[in-house]
Amino acid sequence: MGKVLQVRDVSVGYGEPLLEEISFDVQRGEVFAVLGGSGCGKSTLLRTLIGLQEPLAGRVHFTGIGPPARAMEPPSFGVLFQSSALFGSSTLLQNVLLPLQKWTDLPADAAAAVAMGRLRLVGLEPFAHYLPSEVSGGMRKRAGIARALALDAPILFFDEPSAGLDPVTSAELDELILTLAKGLMVTIVLVTHELPSILRIADQCIMLDRDARGIIARGSPKDLAERSTDARVRAFFRRQPLARSR
Amino acid sequence: MAAPSFTLSSDPAAGGPLRLRLAGSVVLDDGAELWRSLRGAMRAATEVDLDLAAVDRLDGGAAALLAAIASEVTDRGGRMQFAGASPDVARLLDLYDCRRGGRCEKASPVQPGLLDDVGSFAHDAAATTKAILAFVGDLVTGVVQAIRRPRTVHFGELGSLIERAGADGLPIVVLINFLVGAILGLQGAIQLHRFGGDQFLANLVGLSIVRELGPLMTAILVTGRSGAAYAAELGTMTVNEEIDGLRTLGQDPQRFLVFPRVLALLVVLPVLTVVGDLVGSLGGLAIAMTYLDQPTVVYLQSLERAVHLDDVGTGLLKSVAFAVAIGLIACQRGLATRGGAAGVGRSTTSAVVVVLFALVGLDAVFTWIFSLLDW
Repeated sequence: MGKVLQVRDVSVGYGEPLLEEISFDVQRGEVFAVLGGSGCGKSTLLRTLIGLQEPLAGRVHFTGIGPPARAMEPPSFGVLFQSSALFGSSTLLQNVLLPLQKWTDLPADAAAAVAMGRLRLVGLEPFAHYLPSEVSGGMRKRAGIARALALDAPILFFDEPSAGLDPVTSAELDELILTLAKGLMVTIVLVTHELPSILRIADQCIMLDRDARGIIARGSPKDLAERSTDARVRAFFRRQPLARSR
Repeated sequence: MAAPSFTLSSDPAAGGPLRLRLAGSVVLDDGAELWRSLRGAMRAATEVDLDLAAVDRLDGGAAALLAAIASEVTDRGGRMQFAGASPDVARLLDLYDCRRGGRCEKASPVQPGLLDDVGSFAHDAAATTKAILAFVGDLVTGVVQAIRRPRTVHFGELGSLIERAGADGLPIVVLINFLVGAILGLQGAIQLHRFGGDQFLANLVGLSIVRELGPLMTAILVTGRSGAAYAAELGTMTVNEEIDGLRTLGQDPQRFLVFPRVLALLVVLPVLTVVGDLVGSLGGLAIAMTYLDQPTVVYLQSLERAVHLDDVGTGLLKSVAFAVAIGLIACQRGLATRGGAAGVGRSTTSAVVVVLFALVGLDAVFTWIFSLLDW
């Protein structure tokens, strides 16, 4: 296996830290979930991991692949944003073709074949020539995954992949993520607070807390759900309101 | 260019299928070479066996290319088989093999024909006409209800709308109208000076600016600033479902969003037009003083004799009609936005273009009517 991502003493936030001096490792080939309630800094941490935001302190190290977001080299990872972030004026196929045209020397027909292959993988081949506005939210997510996969990045980051999807579509997306992780052997780091998804697909997870400004639990989701003694973790996994002291 | 990390060889065999052997690391980085060499080796072969036993690494992109090439062979009535693949390689190929679900899709988009274009143009024209008629109908209903119940109109942001369209736009209106007056003055002064008609410069500049160019240029500037902003703002609200949200709250977007904007322009545009008339005339004065050495008082006395209050009135009447046209068209285009960011861009462009057409058309109609009435 081996570590593919090392986060050491990283603080993130906007001026004021939302998370202080957190450390964790992600192993190659695993599905790693970052959990936590709203406003705990999950998405800010993700932006820091993918290089869109500088950490306030600490370092993020990718093992065996380049540092994040170097402008002159192809990106070492793929990202699925919460809103899918597809270009609205381009078809799904054109969206997936974009990184292939930028970073490979494939002839046009070969690039189109690869992009079609990605869309086929996520079940969108018949919709290749549709615009993002002409397909459903779940399809847009899957197209976003196809685009994130375009360059065969060894690590994928997903921000709230199931947000706004119905349970069936959400379960289908979970299935797809499992297929990618096990079939393509890519490492997936996902930020979410969707419990069914976490329990179904994540191998390991960390749980962040806004008040603690850090990690309050780590391990397999099943272990945390069944064995954690922390009231905040138990409340999260049992979907119960947390009794806060005044 | 670095040598590819794979090798492709063929096993010469008398008769039977073409036997090819792929070895090494087959990855997307070498995709172009893989695509060229494999298709080149196969040429028009219809029976191909591809031995993958010596492939030690295959990534998703390369698997997609192999699957696409196999699909090409199948499409021309042949067959291509992968043999000897390790479990990992076989699993990847299986994921990308489009033949699993029947015929593979091709990447060529459907090009609409001439009849499709004509049909969709007619359909769009009918839909746009219907939308504009519905908008006007809603507006008339809204006006009646607003008069009966003025409190249902959202006057809360009227002040800021007036500030944004008026005070914020004042510098550009002053600058452009001054320059237009000066340009008109210079062109006029050159011609008039030849015939000794320097004293008519104020007539030329004053009447042209007050009756035509002042209202028109000011309206064009307000279209570029406020009209485009209204279309983009309402378009973004539409694609973000904020308009739908308003409707579910029982708010009429016409009264909540359109009325205040039209009202703001009705207040602002005549005022800006008067300012534009003044500075445009001053542009002419600047040329009279510098190019013709005409005393200020001479120019101003000529201006006073040439330009009457009804000339200013015709310009103001136009500005009122322009304000209504800018507000209504920009808001209608914004509310008719479909699609995402691209849709907002289309609406904004369409709003500006349609408003400019409307302004010039209205100006022509007004000028014709005024000439008939001898105003």
